[in-house]
Amino acid sequence: MTATHTSPQTNRTAPDKSAVLELRDVVREYPGIPPVRAIDGVSLRISTGELVAIVGPSGSGKSTLLNLIGTLDRPTSGTVLVDDVDTGKLNDSALAGLRAARLGFVFQQFHLLAGMSAIDNVATGLLYRGEPRRLRRARSIEALERVGLGHRLDHTPNKLSGGERQRVAIARALVGDPAIVLADEPTGNLDSTTSDEIVELLHGLHDEGSTIVVITHDRDLANKLPRRVTVRDGRLVDDSTEVVR
Amino acid sequence: MRGPWKSRLRPADVLGTGTVGLRTRRARAAFTALGIAIGIASMVAVMGISSSSKADLLAELDLLGTNLLQIRPGQSVFGDEATMSADAPAMIRRIGPVESASSISAIATTVQRNDALSSRNKNGIEILATEVNLTQTLAATVASGRAHDSASVRLPTVVLGAIAAERLGIENVDGGQRVIIGDRWFDVIGILKPLPLNPDIDRSAMIGLEAARQSFGVTGLPSTIYIRTDPTSVDAVRDVLARTASPGAPNEVDVSRPSDALAARAEVDKNLQTLLLGLGGVALLVGGVGIANVMVISVLERRGEIGVRRALGATRAHIRNQFVVESTLLSLLGGVLGVSIGFAVTTVYARRQGWLVDLPLQGLILGVLAALVIGAVAGLYPAVRAARLDPAEAVRPAA
Repeated sequence: MTATHTSPQTNRTAPDKSAVLELRDVVREYPGIPPVRAIDGVSLRISTGELVAIVGPSGSGKSTLLNLIGTLDRPTSGTVLVDDVDTGKLNDSALAGLRAARLGFVFQQFHLLAGMSAIDNVATGLLYRGEPRRLRRARSIEALERVGLGHRLDHTPNKLSGGERQRVAIARALVGDPAIVLADEPTGNLDSTTSDEIVELLHGLHDEGSTIVVITHDRDLANKLPRRVTVRDGRLVDDSTEVVR
Repeated sequence: MRGPWKSRLRPADVLGTGTVGLRTRRARAAFTALGIAIGIASMVAVMGISSSSKADLLAELDLLGTNLLQIRPGQSVFGDEATMSADAPAMIRRIGPVESASSISAIATTVQRNDALSSRNKNGIEILATEVNLTQTLAATVASGRAHDSASVRLPTVVLGAIAAERLGIENVDGGQRVIIGDRWFDVIGILKPLPLNPDIDRSAMIGLEAARQSFGVTGLPSTIYIRTDPTSVDAVRDVLARTASPGAPNEVDVSRPSDALAARAEVDKNLQTLLLGLGGVALLVGGVGIANVMVISVLERRGEIGVRRALGATRAHIRNQFVVESTLLSLLGGVLGVSIGFAVTTVYARRQGWLVDLPLQGLILGVLAALVIGAVAGLYPAVRAARLDPAEAVRPAA
């Protein structure tokens, strides 16, 4: 591995590209005696159109980082900006609105709604934007076709394979054209062949212009992505864009 | 696009999210709703059956009329048996709103089917000397034969009450049946239909006053006088009846209205009804607790779903409303089912009893409303818990 080591504080992106996400000196402490500092002063900029891996061993704080980026959790100190908006100044329901409009989530265990068709699952991604049902369904079909599931529209999750379920989850994250898609161990529950297909899909979506952040403990997976941010003990220890393979 | 962004859920989608749990866990939803249904059904059935029973009694009362009064001698101030004078009926007839009045007097003798039977053979049938207008005053009708007329009251003829005829083994008067009263033969000319307001008459053999005088030599003081009044003046007549019948000692006669006893029957089951309603209420409460219980479990199981919805942009209020709507719909389902079951039970029971089906509409509405309220209340606590879940916590894989 020939990763280029740079300072975590270095702004990796060209100045003309706008930062869709910015973390400034973010700290997240969990109460206890003594308090546990899960994230310890992280600063990070992600620009539109990037495909980034946040990689680290388990317990490194990468899941906490994902929750902070996804506004599911608030930092103890520091600032999280999405679209240049300071999320610390938003109340709970404004954050929900932000998530509905600007963020897409993909989870390791898919989190699809049982008993609902693929279309309805994907349409849930638009539910909290107040769009009419007909429009939601039409956009969901498009999204499912984008992830290669045009032939599985009416299947419920229990009739889909693991890879297909994750594709549905990715379609749900994409359907609203979010500023960033956050994927938490998207291949964690999949075999290697299916994993490769999902990575391929993420590359394809990146090529089409989506901004994607993948959280993973898997070095090999991270090495397949153009930018890798390494987390250890709550700190950014590496940020590289070197092509590995 | 820069913020602020607003999370929005269409009203139709609020309902849609509230049905997710019901659609995906049908068996559980059905059993939970059944709890409420049983409570609502029992309450509706209790209300329906008692109301049908009451409606039937009142309809019967309407048919019989509530304008029949009766007056009987009571006791004198010394505790002796009091009497009414023989001209009391005539005086009563002079009261304006009295449509008709008819007296009966008991004769101390017995009736037998034939002379081979001893007169000591008690069959509980009373012999009454009656005026010709008795059947008219009581609005009695004959099951067989005819009632007394101005000719038959002078002849040795008898009209039997329904039970008296049964006890004597006489089903109809076609064969020229005769009975022996005292030691004289009387022709049976008619049998009356049962009189719900005057069971005494059912158990008696009625002969004319004139025939009684000829056969037994008694004039007989009135033992009861029946009075049919104008329906609008029943109370007014009732107030003056004692003084009219017994001007010297109005406190020695008892005035009553036979229909009051029947009307009392319509109210008599109040205690039982309250008890049954209470039991239904307990069933309903248990159903409500069942819903709360199932909702709490549901919130625990659906932690992941709640987390995903929060991640997809649902506000706390959206999550809370989803679960309140779900629990309310669940209970409403039970309520509608319960009202239907209660209605069916009432209909079947009332039909079997030969009653009119009378189910108060407000009872049905009340049943559905009760279900709505119980569902909303039962769902509130689990819903608030769901809304308070930390989204970062909720999306984490279960340990």
